[in-house]
Amino acid sequence: MSERRVVEFAATIESIEVVQAEFDAWWSAIGETKIETRFAFELAVVEIATNIVEHTRRAEGSSGRRYELTLDCTDESVTAVFSDNGMPADIDLSTVTMADVEDESGRGLALAIAALDSLDYQRANGRNIWTLVCKR
Amino acid sequence: MTSIDVREADGGVVLAPAGRLTVVTAPQLRTAVAERVSGGDKIIVVDLSGIEFVDSSGLGALVSCLKSARQAGGDLRIVSPTDQVKMVLRITNLDRILQPRASVDDALRA
Repeated sequence: MSERRVVEFAATIESIEVVQAEFDAWWSAIGETKIETRFAFELAVVEIATNIVEHTRRAEGSSGRRYELTLDCTDESVTAVFSDNGMPADIDLSTVTMADVEDESGRGLALAIAALDSLDYQRANGRNIWTLVCKR
Repeated sequence: MTSIDVREADGGVVLAPAGRLTVVTAPQLRTAVAERVSGGDKIIVVDLSGIEFVDSSGLGALVSCLKSARQAGGDLRIVSPTDQVKMVLRITNLDRILQPRASVDDALRA
């Protein structure tokens, strides 16, 4: 079974609402029933989208940047690939840890890693590529 | 988030946000709580039964609101988190400082 969806967004804070609306429609289309998988995968998708948007805003301001999200699935797993042509993200995922309970920020990537079966970041052909995978 | 219902109660105030609590909507919650704290409310109860989704930005707002309530000599207490919210509180260990109360009435009591 395959239900591929490719969507492009302006790199704005408000785009997160659109990402979730697209995710919702895609999730309904793939016929997934396990709610725990949805909780985990949607959380990771939103965390990475927010990371991209905030990184773009910090590095480049409101520059009219865009990012692309591809949602796909097989019988075994669900996959999301984010791609953007912004500045390199300068992130080492192996060093990410969960923030202390008193901290007001710094949980996004740690949550994504905890929620997913795999999270990968690569810089390829001038683009940032994030690949998120959750087993079904 | 489409709305935050605010209800005065005996012992404090109950805020009931609805929808998703993310980077888009977290500022609304921060503002609503800040207004109540600066207005003198000590016990801020956040009823999470209408929150269908929370992420790290939403959690950051809750931690920030908790701190500002405590700095003003009060407290912030949460009630009725949905399953998604419970999962995220657990993964982040935030259920240690944001332990859900059994009910709104329970949260309003000292």
